[in-house]
Amino acid sequence: MLKWFEQKGEHDDIVISSRVRLARNLKKYPFGVRLTEQGANELFEEVKAGMEHYKDVSGNYFTCKLNELGEIDKLAMVERHILSPQIVNKKQCNGLILSEDESAGIMINEEDHLRIQTFTGGMNMKTAFSRANEIDDRIQEKFEIAFDEKYGYLTSCPTNVGTGLRASYMIFLPALSGAGKITKLASEVSKYGVTLRGLYGEGSKSQADIFQISNQKTLGTHESDIIQSLNNIVMQVIKQERLRREYVLNKNYNEIEDQVYRSYGVLKYTRQINTKDAMTLLSQVKFGADTGIISLEGDRSIYQMMMNIQPYGLQYGFGKNIGSVQRERLRAEYINKNLPELKSR
Amino acid sequence: MLCDKCHKREARIYCTEIVNGVKKEQYLCEECAAEYASFHLEAVGVSKEVNLGNLLSGLLDNVYKEEHKKLQESVKCKECGMTYEEFLTNGKFGCANCYEAFGKIFDKSLLQIQGSDKHIGKIPKNFMSKTEKVISEITEIDKMSLKLQDAVEKEEFEEAARLRDLIRELRKKEAEEVVNHTPGQKEEPSNA
Repeated sequence: MLKWFEQKGEHDDIVISSRVRLARNLKKYPFGVRLTEQGANELFEEVKAGMEHYKDVSGNYFTCKLNELGEIDKLAMVERHILSPQIVNKKQCNGLILSEDESAGIMINEEDHLRIQTFTGGMNMKTAFSRANEIDDRIQEKFEIAFDEKYGYLTSCPTNVGTGLRASYMIFLPALSGAGKITKLASEVSKYGVTLRGLYGEGSKSQADIFQISNQKTLGTHESDIIQSLNNIVMQVIKQERLRREYVLNKNYNEIEDQVYRSYGVLKYTRQINTKDAMTLLSQVKFGADTGIISLEGDRSIYQMMMNIQPYGLQYGFGKNIGSVQRERLRAEYINKNLPELKSR
Repeated sequence: MLCDKCHKREARIYCTEIVNGVKKEQYLCEECAAEYASFHLEAVGVSKEVNLGNLLSGLLDNVYKEEHKKLQESVKCKECGMTYEEFLTNGKFGCANCYEAFGKIFDKSLLQIQGSDKHIGKIPKNFMSKTEKVISEITEIDKMSLKLQDAVEKEEFEEAARLRDLIRELRKKEAEEVVNHTPGQKEEPSNA
């Protein structure tokens, strides 16, 4: 089955993926800070039972207790954005319900009792939202959810109250980033209630010019309007990035073309490489492919490779705990083998 | 863009304040925002680095510092025992009931954080608002009694008499139903 980031979507030269998160709490349990160990266990078992046999377009769902998984498995899922760093660091009983293709999941006992997450490839927030909404409907059928007519869905932190909705796009902005425009862009979009931040969210630095852009406010605006206004902003960002790409390509085509091919060459024949270098070079190859400087065989996305070469994902793939030197060699081997061939012109 | 306050450092934080319906917008650097929100980093012994949790509680704390100090101290959630002070420290509520418990002192801060204090959007399928609940609990007899009062006030005595009889009928029916539904209970005379 294709993972969600292998699916094609709109504007996928810039928008890598769309993600929706809904925060929900069961009425009968206190929120995270007041939840006892026993309460956490009961919450997990109750949710597990209620969601048993749940199935949708992305296939069957599996439930697991995260405390029973190894560190590497969990950190690899953080790299793939399935888990949040917060839930991995939590000692209390917590869990995950995940669809077969990893495009939808529910974190149990994160900051809120339930965090529903759905992903689609490209710019396709509506699909992501409607799937999250379906999961939410099922949850509300099974459990009484904390809701207030004034404040909406009640959440542990007031920054999520109301709709509990965070819609976020993963966007690839090599040209704007190369021109040093990201800080300005971030402050610009924040005026419209939109946050721009690095690949791994809060406080993280951007890797390979990939950023997350999401709505800030969750209260007082209808879900569809939240998504619409985020889309409007993202369309503006896409426009800016395209203009900038056009500009740099017009100005320095030869240099950029050379850079893209060099990066490709290094990736193809490197013998050992760290994550940061690999991400930078992959970003350049992706830029080359997205702008048509090079064209690649097959459907394998560069983004997928970016996910698979992260330290824990790599270790997970090889099934054993390894040191960083060995990891760098494995990473190089993986990239040599999986980098798509260049189409001859 | 430079900070609106010190005009020296790069502005990183956008601050909107609505006081008596007048909107004030500011772009602040982290340092000035910290001062503005007056969160007590030093007092808590945290480094001077701006931390979102602190910024949030700073904002929450600031609004009601003077006027509601007393109220803050006395308010406590009945369900989970969380105090408003405690909420300010970590920025997280203890249970669903906290929202209602702290509602009065919290609404203005919520406006600052969210730009709104009222939910618009999805509601649970079978959710009943408080008003709907009250309406659904009004019995036919209550409605008739209200109409009867109204009729008496307007001196429409014929109508009042009709309503009185109707209410009597309904009461009788209700009593019979109760008797029928509680087997083993001693039957009362129906014309009591």
